Amino acid sequence: MNYSLISMEIAVVLLGLGLLLADLWLAPPAKVRLGYVAAVGLALIFGWSFTFSGTPSALAFSDMYVLDPLALYFKRFSLLAAIVVLIMSVGFAERIAAGISEFYALILFALAGMMFAASANDLAMLFVAMELITVTFYVLTSFQRARLASLEGGVKYLIIGALSSAFLVYGIALIFGTTGQLNFDQIAAVASKYEDNKIFLLGVFFVLVGLCFKIAAFPAHIWTPDVYQGSPVPAAAFLAVGSKAAGFALLLRVLFTAVPGITNGWNHLLIALAIVTILYGNLCAIPQRNLKRILGYSSIANAGYLLLGVAALNNAGRAAILYYLGGYLFAVLAAFLVILIVMNDAEGEDISVLAGLNQRSPLLAAVLTCALVSLAGIPPLAGFFGKFLLIRAVLDEAANNPACYWLVAVACFGVVVSIYYYFGVIRAIYWSKDPPVLSPIPVPRVLGAALVFCLLGMLYLGLFPNHLVETTQDAVKFWAGR
Amino acid sequence: MTPIGPQHYLIVSGLLFSLGLLGVILRRNLLVIYMCLELMLNAANLALVALSHFNGKLDGQIVVFFIITVAAAEVAVGLALIVALYRKRQTAHVEDLTALKL
Repeated sequence: MNYSLISMEIAVVLLGLGLLLADLWLAPPAKVRLGYVAAVGLALIFGWSFTFSGTPSALAFSDMYVLDPLALYFKRFSLLAAIVVLIMSVGFAERIAAGISEFYALILFALAGMMFAASANDLAMLFVAMELITVTFYVLTSFQRARLASLEGGVKYLIIGALSSAFLVYGIALIFGTTGQLNFDQIAAVASKYEDNKIFLLGVFFVLVGLCFKIAAFPAHIWTPDVYQGSPVPAAAFLAVGSKAAGFALLLRVLFTAVPGITNGWNHLLIALAIVTILYGNLCAIPQRNLKRILGYSSIANAGYLLLGVAALNNAGRAAILYYLGGYLFAVLAAFLVILIVMNDAEGEDISVLAGLNQRSPLLAAVLTCALVSLAGIPPLAGFFGKFLLIRAVLDEAANNPACYWLVAVACFGVVVSIYYYFGVIRAIYWSKDPPVLSPIPVPRVLGAALVFCLLGMLYLGLFPNHLVETTQDAVKFWAGR
Repeated sequence: MTPIGPQHYLIVSGLLFSLGLLGVILRRNLLVIYMCLELMLNAANLALVALSHFNGKLDGQIVVFFIITVAAAEVAVGLALIVALYRKRQTAHVEDLTALKL
């Protein structure tokens, strides 16, 4: 037992429990500011995480838990996302009728789940971490109980989530039944014997379906737009960034640590999943008018792009996933921050609300434009370089598998389609005829700082990608060589 | 008469799982759908316990405890959500979940 390895998770959970306790003694106005306390606490834990950097991969709890550079990358990623989401929640507090401290605490508990997921090395650990995230998000998405849309989004998330966890659990049962193992390393040691075993393959497929729910990819993507539209803005942002990253952490570990042989044999299945996800997300986004719904479909499309890195089946692809997630974090959080501030001012989330945003607040207009440009993948922002790395990784593999050219073609087509619908939003910002209101939008100072932080993150990753690219490549190389 | 082996348990759990899945797809009441989801989880529990017995390893039975606990937490949250929705809409049918559409 080496408890020091999970000290970051323990700190996050204790912080969450501390918030719940503090809630008992504080007056309502002070409760709102607990979000800042939590954000500062997470920032300290984020700094503390760098003291773990030197340690090579360490296993704990009968090898259920692994702390390696890959896990550390995902942990820092989730911490960063949670800090921005907590700041957003403080800005959102007035629209949450009661229980704002619970909202903060639930964000922290979901974060703990994501951090455990980053380190999962065992099917039982995978299940518990994933359910910790999912069950917490059932509450977060439906937190505005008085809004029908929030409740309905929550119920849809609940049904699809429970369905996919049933698939996941049954898959785990089948894998355990055939191999007798739950640990990823031990499954990997025996998996080659079972590559023709239909029951084992079905089990792996079911686990894959369960994980596709988390990353919002085909065939379990159907909930995404409804839940994004219905849930409170900070919950939707955390769902888009943290939950998706945790899903990819688990997907990478299962596919490439536990069953690498089967993954290589399933390259066509993975390519098909990526193609369908990209096409569905991008094509369905075209007629949308609700900004959160557009981001929901864009989240599906981005899951498809990220699957490119899985289908590439090489280290470059896996490193590209990590890099792309980094750029995605800043772009999506920036977009949701702008939605939060603009919708604070006006009710409704239709694109038309953005009319004249350029005159009302140039900062918001610039940040939202940059975020959408980065999501679309136009240079020089982070999204472009991420897509470039992903496509290059797939092309490296194309010599072995000609289907990769189709994948690249579809990805490029998806990018063109996405430019079309993102540009629809940008046109509303800058070139709307006769905007109904032109009063300036006040930007609270802390939210403004978060906006600038996201903007700088996008620019930095786009203009100086070397540092993060090296970090991700080292993490993946270390993980592959373990 | 052949002794009962792992394949029999797998068939029963597969049947339970398929029944649950069919229920989720075909039934229209949220509570019934939720019951069918529990049925699917229990199909997995049955498979885990039985296969764990035939594998001679206890890991699978431990996982079942995790699944039961997590399912209880999920039911607590899920039923609360469905009740909240019912209070708001006076209905628990999936056809009436139409607030979020294009």
